[in-house]
Amino acid sequence: MAAAQAVSTSRSRFRSLELLLGILFAGGISLAVLLSPILFPDGGEGMDLMARLIPPFQDLNHLLGTDPLGRDVLARVVVGGRISLVVGILSVLGAVLLGTLVGLIAGYYRGITEMLLMRFVDIQLALPFILVAIMFLAIFGAGLDKVILVMIATQWVHYARVVRGSVLALREREFILSARAIGVGNGRIIFTHVLPNVLGPIVILMTLNVANNILLESSLTFLGLGVDPLIPSWGGMLADGRTYLQTAWWVSVFPGLAIMFTVLGLNLLGDWLRDYLDPTGQTSK
Amino acid sequence: MMKFSKTMKALGLTAAVALAPLMASGAQAAGTLTTAVAIDPASWDPIDTFLVDWSSAANNIYDGLTARGADMKLKPALATSWEFQDDGKRIRFKLRENVKFHNGEPFNAQAVKFTFDRLLGEEGKKGPQQSNYNSIERVEVVDANTVDFIMKQPDPVLLTKLAGYGAMIVPPKYVQEKGDDYFNTHPVGTGPFKFVEYNPKVNLVLEANPDHWGGAPKLDKLVFRFISEANTQVAELQAGRIDVATLIPFGLAPTIEKSQNLTLMSVTGPTVVSLRFNTKDGITKDANVRKALIMGVDRDAIIKAVLLGHAKPIASFQSELSFGNDPALKPLPFDLAKAKQMLQAAKVPAGAPVRIDFRGNDATFREVAQATAGYLQALGLKPALQPHEPPVLLNDIIPNGKTGEAWHQAWGGWTFDYDNNAYLMYHSGEKWNPYYNDAKLNEMLEKQRLVYDTKEREKILQEIARYVADQALELPLYNQNTLFGVNKRVKDFDAPADRRFRYTATSVE
Repeated sequence: MAAAQAVSTSRSRFRSLELLLGILFAGGISLAVLLSPILFPDGGEGMDLMARLIPPFQDLNHLLGTDPLGRDVLARVVVGGRISLVVGILSVLGAVLLGTLVGLIAGYYRGITEMLLMRFVDIQLALPFILVAIMFLAIFGAGLDKVILVMIATQWVHYARVVRGSVLALREREFILSARAIGVGNGRIIFTHVLPNVLGPIVILMTLNVANNILLESSLTFLGLGVDPLIPSWGGMLADGRTYLQTAWWVSVFPGLAIMFTVLGLNLLGDWLRDYLDPTGQTSK
Repeated sequence: MMKFSKTMKALGLTAAVALAPLMASGAQAAGTLTTAVAIDPASWDPIDTFLVDWSSAANNIYDGLTARGADMKLKPALATSWEFQDDGKRIRFKLRENVKFHNGEPFNAQAVKFTFDRLLGEEGKKGPQQSNYNSIERVEVVDANTVDFIMKQPDPVLLTKLAGYGAMIVPPKYVQEKGDDYFNTHPVGTGPFKFVEYNPKVNLVLEANPDHWGGAPKLDKLVFRFISEANTQVAELQAGRIDVATLIPFGLAPTIEKSQNLTLMSVTGPTVVSLRFNTKDGITKDANVRKALIMGVDRDAIIKAVLLGHAKPIASFQSELSFGNDPALKPLPFDLAKAKQMLQAAKVPAGAPVRIDFRGNDATFREVAQATAGYLQALGLKPALQPHEPPVLLNDIIPNGKTGEAWHQAWGGWTFDYDNNAYLMYHSGEKWNPYYNDAKLNEMLEKQRLVYDTKEREKILQEIARYVADQALELPLYNQNTLFGVNKRVKDFDAPADRRFRYTATSVE
């Protein structure tokens, strides 16, 4: 009894450490990014070909050094976070809206609607993301809006699957059956009784997916398919710095670290949230 | 169980293939030179390809009637002399005697006729080389060691074109007996090195041909490895597993320069890079605006800072080695104040958009584009960079006229003749010219194609270059050097500007 309690307290302490680090990493970087218009009014675009590749920690004006075009790495890392956060958040929101709606309809109405919708989901899940992304961007051209669209188009299916699964179990529960028995309309049942009960898993999936999409945006931009190289972004900075890895590591290492800490922070938050919201995994107490 | 063992076998095979080059190249054998090229051409038949990487290797297997050395000068090869007859409608070649193909077949007039019948016939139609040689009507055999080229129309660049690619002489009996597919992967020529083995996507191995008419090569063996990643080529070079690297990003050039056992060779190459202007829409419709944009971009600073000096400024879309280049034609100077004035005079509003379309996979140009955009910003314009997948840019955006105000054009014709660049870039209706149509320019471009007199043709080509500069059809950025990373154990390495190696005098320690 006592041993079990000791284990559970150390676990819960670990959980709050997760929360703390998650907030520290993801929150700290988000805050800096939000303040970037004040911190770096020139948007990291100031070019000076004569001050190229200054190493970090040598020049107070360029604390993290400069890139091959003499632009300040620190400013670009902070400003570049805008793109990553915008892409990460918007793409996930879009995918959630679409996926949840489809999942709710498929799970609630079942029958032929469900069959058609879910087979479509299965087909889409069978296509590798990078293939779809490259085809999509090759046809419609690169750009921030297209990157977000391609992510929504490929990721809503995950939410549809998760939501439908939860709805299938929910629709047979007593409170739904009784609501239906007293004549509550389908729309009302779906949005006021079913939806709130499937939000938990969605929120968890969202935090993890924001992190995932930040990485995807970086890889697409790195491949030259993402955003305009003039707009600072972490993936773009990695691409710019690739050929300089041996001679000027700081050009790519700092944006790499920014990606790492943001993603790590979001994953920790997601983990913590999962345990917090999951009623079956009683770890605290 | 059956299936399982099959899989295991397949895995074993894959592992063997994957490990083979590693084991073979662990230590460099004496007398063996290993070169890394980016792309495996997949077929070694001269009529099947236009890849430079094909020539980097195959220039050692085959000979042409003429040859061009690392100094870019034409010289006799399988033909010892030639003369123009009937106003240049007939070119008579005297062939070298007592030359044999690697399989023992004799080289003679029949082989030349067979080669060109094949290139200009059905077989050649399937490949990309035929169109370069369409000026030839047919080849006639005069005697065993003399052939006549009957020309459909004059072709001033023909002698250069006979020194490579589609015009490489192939053995008639071998090709007829073994068939085309076999020839693709088992090439036979008259060159200084003989084919040994070809492992698709891995390597091509050649050995010395001691009976070559030009004397036996000093090396015993040549290995060409296909490595498409620039960083991997550099890493392999540093590790000593290859002797010559052909894919060096400018950013990595200093790494090679600093390395004790490596030399960086930077030679003037054929590749020229420019920003072509959309002359139909946007602010670039106005020639004065185009001139202002050229003057607003400090090309010398870009060459110095981004390309680390491995490039030269250009005034027209050709390298200084190119026939038709006019040293007297100077690029417009960098003058920010004047450029701003000209923009104002042309009533260009502040923040006018300039979109530049470029190949997303070109790391060097990515930087150049950003630097250029920086200068355009300083002019008060609003530049945007639009990266594309190369096939999309080359087959859709440019030919269909869907570009922004400017687009990235890189070009490197191996013939080093301005005709090749200028005709394709500026003649109306050409794939690379979606916007511009100028009767005067068309006429000059057509006229020079009919002129054999080198002096006169050079004059017309120079006029064309001056006319294009006057109209400011493009922002000429630079002529980019060809970079080689070479291990110091390699002696007498002639760095050819066109990357067509000929390892006859080269040796290794």
